[in-house]
Amino acid sequence: MTVLDALQDTLGDEHAALYTYGVLGARTSQAATPALYDALTTGYRRHRARRDRLRVLVEEAGGVPVAAAAAYELDGPLLRVAQVQAEAVATEESSVEVLLALVAQSVGAVREWALAEAIWSATWQLELGGGPRTWPGAPELD
Amino acid sequence: MVLAACDIDPPPRAEGTSAPTPEPPEDSALVASVVAALVRARGVLDAAVTAAPDLAARLDPVLVAHAAHLDLLVGAVPESEVPTAEPPSLPSRVPAVLTAVRRSEQRLLREVRTGCLDARSGDLARVLASVAASTSQHAAALADGAAP
Repeated sequence: MTVLDALQDTLGDEHAALYTYGVLGARTSQAATPALYDALTTGYRRHRARRDRLRVLVEEAGGVPVAAAAAYELDGPLLRVAQVQAEAVATEESSVEVLLALVAQSVGAVREWALAEAIWSATWQLELGGGPRTWPGAPELD
Repeated sequence: MVLAACDIDPPPRAEGTSAPTPEPPEDSALVASVVAALVRARGVLDAAVTAAPDLAARLDPVLVAHAAHLDLLVGAVPESEVPTAEPPSLPSRVPAVLTAVRRSEQRLLREVRTGCLDARSGDLARVLASVAASTSQHAAALADGAAP
């Protein structure tokens, strides 16, 4: 795997994360669950900025940024608050895993950026109802 | 696979990907510095539990996580020894103890981040990134629990 491959994988994961956050936000009541709504909004904005940065990084690495799919499969109906939280946490867990692969394949500024984003996604899981883990993003070490 | 004079199992790689990079010997010193940072942080956590036993339940998950981090990193460097750290003296008041722990964990996070960025081995960098992410998660959990 090259750094360009890892960047494209991360960009593909970001397309899916943005789609997921969009669906989760649409199924969350700002009036009934303002804290969750705010957490999802912040997450959506962070992932949107991350996607935009990844497009630039892919182009700088000589690639053509992968496009988003028309839709992505979500896990279950996502009608209850707990289901929305679980899906959001799973989205961030996936982000950490993909970003750690980018950390492994990159050096310098790209690694530094990927590390910062991985730490953010890991830590944001607590805002979404998740808990701390021993090996976030590296489940084979658990 | 061997890296940084250490054995850390990397995640499964897709068929046809490039072979892992040869082990850079410089990473052995880097691993030793991260191990020393973890030992220092563990010393602060141990001192915190001694000073404020009521915090044991809250701090135990952090201790368990760092023990796993230490085990992997120490085991990755052949014939390495775990250094010792002088246990700090902490006040017995719970808020002051928590503040000391939070500062210690933030310092550890900075040290692990530096190690990740400096690692020659990509697989070691990935492991250290996970340690940094875990440390940040636990620090955030401690901060959340600090609210009165």
